[in-house]
Amino acid sequence: MQRNRPPSAQAIGVLRALAADPPRWRYGYDLAAEVHLKSGSLYPMLIRLADRGLLETSWEPALGSRPPRHLYRLTLAGREYVAGLPAAQTGRAIARPHHRWSEA
Amino acid sequence: MVTFIVMLCPVGIAVALIRRRTWAVPAGAVVRGDVPERLLRWAAGLMSAGRDEWGQAMVGELDHIDGLGRRCRFAAGCAGAALLLAPWGRAAAALWAMAVAAAGAACVYAAVAVRYRLGAGDWVFAVIALVILASFTLAAATLLRRPGIARPGLASGLFVALAWLALSGFSLDGIIAPVISLWSHLVLLIAVPVLVGVAGTLRDGSAITGRRTARLAAISAALGLYLYATIAVAVLGAGGPPDPGGTASSIVSDRLGNNVIADLLAVPLVTATVGWAAAAATARLRPYPAASLVTVPLTAAGPAGDGDPDPTATPHQAGRAARIASWHQTAYLLLLCAVIAAALVLAAATWLRG
Repeated sequence: MQRNRPPSAQAIGVLRALAADPPRWRYGYDLAAEVHLKSGSLYPMLIRLADRGLLETSWEPALGSRPPRHLYRLTLAGREYVAGLPAAQTGRAIARPHHRWSEA
Repeated sequence: MVTFIVMLCPVGIAVALIRRRTWAVPAGAVVRGDVPERLLRWAAGLMSAGRDEWGQAMVGELDHIDGLGRRCRFAAGCAGAALLLAPWGRAAAALWAMAVAAAGAACVYAAVAVRYRLGAGDWVFAVIALVILASFTLAAATLLRRPGIARPGLASGLFVALAWLALSGFSLDGIIAPVISLWSHLVLLIAVPVLVGVAGTLRDGSAITGRRTARLAAISAALGLYLYATIAVAVLGAGGPPDPGGTASSIVSDRLGNNVIADLLAVPLVTATVGWAAAAATARLRPYPAASLVTVPLTAAGPAGDGDPDPTATPHQAGRAARIASWHQTAYLLLLCAVIAAALVLAAATWLRG
């Protein structure tokens, strides 16, 4: 059974970072650096957001023999979700980027 | 028995190392193969089939990160996430059962230690047992998540545990003071683990599956046997089979210590090692296309398996594979003879001493 809890402050931070330039595909590591999250927190969060339909993923074409890279951006539902967030909630997410216990 | 096991394990490791298939990287592929990448490829293989894409995403992202420190931090974080990520499916029930067995054994040990007022040395032993139990549970968590491992691994563990319990006559007295004979040595330390490794490998033709099955069997059997043996000590105390000399506390202390050595160290060590060797040998002896003997493609989940042919292999590689296979056959026969001879000599020596 999939839980449908509201996104945490850190997840909202990720959504806001993606919403800054919605059409642009983003890399996981760059996203983690931007929102100050560790990979162990970021990927479960990305998976949950994708499961909820707020995030779409794609593969960057492989360059030579290097493995392909995963890309992320908001879906239309994701953009609408971010647009509908209360200002206080988005502010809290931005003000506390280092608090990541709930996502670990 | 401990001497027997200590001598048997290096032989098993030698067989497995010689019998295992060589890993090779597909033509043109660039693989760093450093610690973070190996860790992450291993962890990605723990993710459920539905999350496979995310494991590959982590590996792909790691490839674009420079600096060992940053790569290590990224890989460690992803590995932790991969280990804990849902869904677990039925593996969760098996893991809970094993965790309960481990916790139950630790609680019984503590209760016995308090009841018989055992000394500081026994509590140190309790901490060691606790660390081993915790590491077994963690190892089981990783093995249970591998596709196709849980059921054969747990069934094999039950088989191993029943074999050891049969030696004890399914009695509490028997588990505390088992009668070790020549045939029981051969059956429990060689035949049973070999059967586990061979059956695990034949199930899908992969030595990887075989050795993981053997490891899970070793862990689950060890946890079950240790719980059973600790309960036996709690029930019998200093009673049961005669134990020369000492007070009730010292007899109980000896029995608790013996349980740790026998059930948490000896049984899993010999089952996993001999099972590993048997799995590697079985995979090697099964008929494969020559090209598949050398090259095993690396995927996000690690090596794809011993039986997977590589379509990129050239005729030159196939010829080299055939030569290596021939040499390995000879080495294997020599090692097999050595193993049988060593087992017979050790068993005979034990029998003569007894």
